[in-house]
Amino acid sequence: MPLAWRLARRELRGGLRGFRIFLACLALGVAVIAGVGSLSAAVSAGLRADARAMLGGDIELHLVHRPATPQQRAYLAKDADVSEVAQMRAMARTEDGDERALVELKAVDGAYPLYGAVTLDPAQMLDAAVAKRDGHWGAVVAPGLLTRLKLHLGDPVRVGDATFTLRAILTHEPDAATGGFEFGPRIMVATPALAETGLLAPGALVGYSYRLRLPPGADTSAWVAAVKSAFPDAGWRIREFGNAAPNLQRLIGRVTVFMTLVGLTALLVGGVGVGNAVRGYLGGKTATIATLKCLGAPGRLVFTAYLTQILALAAGGIAVGLMLGALTPALAMPLLSSFPITARLSLYPAPLLLAAVFGLLTTLAFALWPLATAREVPAASLFRDLVDPAPRRPRLGYVLATAAAALALAGLGIVTASDRFTAAWFIAGAAGALVAFHLVAAGIVLAARRVGRPRAPRLRLALANLYRPGAPTAGIVASLGLGLTVLVAIALIERNIDSTIDERLPEQAPSFFFIDIQPDQVAEFDKLVAATPGVTQFARVASLRGRITQLNGVPVEQAVVAPEAQWTIQSERGLTYAATPPRGSRIVAGDWWPADYHGPPLVSMDAEIARGMALKLGDTITVNVLGRDVTATIANLREIDWTSLGINFVLVFSPGMLEAAPQTHIATARTRPGDEAALERAVTDRFPNVSAIAVKDALAALSEIVAAIGTALRATAAITLAAGTLVLAGAVAAGQRRRVYEAVVLKVLGATRSDVTRAFLIEYGILGLTTAAIAAALGTLAAYLVLTRVMHQDWTFMPGALVSTAVIATALTLGIGYAGTWKALGAKAAPFLRNE
Amino acid sequence: MILLDEVRLTLTSAAGPVNVLRGVSLRVGAGETVSLVGPSGSGKSTLMMVTGGLERPSAGRVVVAGVDLGKLDEDGLARFRRDAIGIVFQSFHLIPTMTALENVAIPLELAGRGDAFEAARAGLAAVGLEERVLHYPGQLSGGEQQRVALARAFVAAPNLLLADEPTGNLDTATGRRVIDLLFELSAKHGTTLLLITHDRDLARQCHRIVHMADGRIVEAPEQAGTAAGVARLGVR
Repeated sequence: MPLAWRLARRELRGGLRGFRIFLACLALGVAVIAGVGSLSAAVSAGLRADARAMLGGDIELHLVHRPATPQQRAYLAKDADVSEVAQMRAMARTEDGDERALVELKAVDGAYPLYGAVTLDPAQMLDAAVAKRDGHWGAVVAPGLLTRLKLHLGDPVRVGDATFTLRAILTHEPDAATGGFEFGPRIMVATPALAETGLLAPGALVGYSYRLRLPPGADTSAWVAAVKSAFPDAGWRIREFGNAAPNLQRLIGRVTVFMTLVGLTALLVGGVGVGNAVRGYLGGKTATIATLKCLGAPGRLVFTAYLTQILALAAGGIAVGLMLGALTPALAMPLLSSFPITARLSLYPAPLLLAAVFGLLTTLAFALWPLATAREVPAASLFRDLVDPAPRRPRLGYVLATAAAALALAGLGIVTASDRFTAAWFIAGAAGALVAFHLVAAGIVLAARRVGRPRAPRLRLALANLYRPGAPTAGIVASLGLGLTVLVAIALIERNIDSTIDERLPEQAPSFFFIDIQPDQVAEFDKLVAATPGVTQFARVASLRGRITQLNGVPVEQAVVAPEAQWTIQSERGLTYAATPPRGSRIVAGDWWPADYHGPPLVSMDAEIARGMALKLGDTITVNVLGRDVTATIANLREIDWTSLGINFVLVFSPGMLEAAPQTHIATARTRPGDEAALERAVTDRFPNVSAIAVKDALAALSEIVAAIGTALRATAAITLAAGTLVLAGAVAAGQRRRVYEAVVLKVLGATRSDVTRAFLIEYGILGLTTAAIAAALGTLAAYLVLTRVMHQDWTFMPGALVSTAVIATALTLGIGYAGTWKALGAKAAPFLRNE
Repeated sequence: MILLDEVRLTLTSAAGPVNVLRGVSLRVGAGETVSLVGPSGSGKSTLMMVTGGLERPSAGRVVVAGVDLGKLDEDGLARFRRDAIGIVFQSFHLIPTMTALENVAIPLELAGRGDAFEAARAGLAAVGLEERVLHYPGQLSGGEQQRVALARAFVAAPNLLLADEPTGNLDTATGRRVIDLLFELSAKHGTTLLLITHDRDLARQCHRIVHMADGRIVEAPEQAGTAAGVARLGVR
């Protein structure tokens, strides 16, 4: 075994004293990253394993407004088993009409589901549950609908013109996750029953999905290419099972990125603890290092031996973190019970390996400098009593190695993130915050020195402890500060989003969206709404659905579209046409067409989406509407305030082009509080095909999702704070001997316990409050930038989060500092005085 | 063996430059035992450090065992100490996480000797500690620790042994035993001994006494005058 290893092994006999915080910091940070990665991998594995069941087939072809033609159906059925599913929103009501609810109506054929299984309560076959018996079709429903309509199994429920018998509760729907955001509970019926509802009017917002099960071993990509070639203008959205739930996958990806970054921040904070522990340990090894050098050990051997020791200990801490991280999916299973994906419990080596590498790089980034400094301990230090040793600087090679480790850490964090842009900014921000806190600490030390020697002895002692050689001021401020900054930023972001959803949006939002208004119902609809008491605002526009297929003649699959604009090309979009600019939009480029325009197709586009697609005035965009490609020139760009929740469209076409296409109308209406039910009843009684979406319910559902994500993020941020607390505890523990010595000497000189306690508490109070102030400022800045630049939201200053941060910071520093002081006050004087 | 030629050393401190050695010249022959005496701050320890290659002089020449220390870099000095110099400290400075055997073996391990542990065992036996080879410093008395330090200093049969107040932390009886061993091993290996002590009786046991004051050698080297010193000459 090389001598450096032998020396390291012998030094490890000294035990773990002084390394507990080191191990805890590493284990915590690595556990978070490993846990987040393992959980994400487990959920993604579940997504992949259940992909066919979630999609409903190997391939899904989706059309809006109209079903596939007989020719298309024949082609699909040629080489595959086909299941046809139709979905739309509708109103379900009790027979007496007293109760009604918006539902997600799904009509399935006999082949459904091609993959997975539907589970009903009471258990029965789906075919039998939805079949026509005694003149009535059956329906299976989500439990929420029974509660909403105050019905029981066996009761009738009306949907459109048809009456269904509630035959079972739908306890599991294999393809539920890919359905997108649901505004109401599910009701599932047989395909022939849908026609009897009278809801399949031209232009009705019905989605027709054709799920295919290909022969085993078939190449899905080749099949997709063939169907595109066979029906180039079909306008259908095609998904293979490998991309079964892109929205869900995107959500998982984003949450994973963010939680990994916060975990990385915890590791960064832990790194400060690692550095402190190594520095403290090597400070106690000065005599040993000098002895080895006296005996002839070269500096390189000394460095290698202690580096080996540190890495061996780091391996232990990392191993503990990996174990905890690997267990995270199992521990999180109860929390994921309502998630539409079943996570697959297994050992996922890739995220564990990544977490281990992060742990190793963090160790190197924070330990190399103190190791390199220790290398320079002169052998002569054994002879000379060095009360105030000359500062030792690491050699240039070690400085570069430290920088390389830090850059590798940052680089790995960016390269492995699915959103590298966000990751780069986050890491730059965290590094900047760390530097800022070190500067703040230097400022505290300078200010404490400049204050001079106050007359009050307790204050004098407290200030002197802040700038004495070896004071842990920088370590405490940096590690605690970073954890608090993340907590403040997340708290402010979450509270702003909550406030938007709970307060700001409802102030401006309409009470209802009404959809599927047929063109021949428009006049009567307008009259009815106008005549309904309590209605304060009303707007209505024509609405079609279409898919963007080309940008400036380039197919969207080949075009470069920024991540923030991707959502517009991944499925059908709502379209409309208008002679005048829509309310709630502001034209920022170009001009609106004249009200009587009858020229080549023009389109008005959302400015931000245009930017994301690198489109400008004069460029063209092609949209497939009901199987027809429509190419229009961009005439103007609009800035849309989506938070108004008004009727807004990314694309508004000029008149004269889409009027003749099958379409429906959508409307918004705002009522005085308390008048919503009357309006909903009036409209849905008169127009059974019209669905009313209560915005309040939608916002409540959104609020729940945001709250769930917020909880996860706050938990991860709390871990960052826990890491900071560990470092704080470590710094206090490292200074404990000095603190005890001071307390003993002060007591001998006549200081009371209260005198000593107050001096120490002043010291920690200054640290806590200053750290809180800077963390509050940086966290506020971070939250402002994320909300305004990334999420494009309004910003509101919320002092509550800042006050609670100040309280937490001060309480932590005082609490831990007091615990150390209390211990010091209880120490016996004799051992310290005798040993002098 | 030792040639110091107008050696000067100036250290920089917050209070300004401090002239620790002010032109020291000294010759010590191979196998000689020399004690350095003088008040605190006279430069005794610094002179010892310069002689052992632990401190570089600001001026002057230091030649030990025929090697001009000024021509060696840091690693060169370390290798020189490893091969040619043994050091015994007042505070023993054993490595607490290593057994007595490992502490003694370390200089030979640094030199890459395959028989490091066998030689270390023999070294401990020579100081009467063959039963304590696996004990850690914390499990040894002060005298035992210093004997381990002696074994460590002599295990590589050094040309020169530097001893800085080797009995400073020991009681009289133990200290006497340690000194007897020190002189015995020096004589056995033919090692030149440079010893710092405040004990006049101990100083007189050496061939010469060199007085230092204020960074200079202030008296002519004194010849050994005690019976114990003459007896040691005889033992050699």
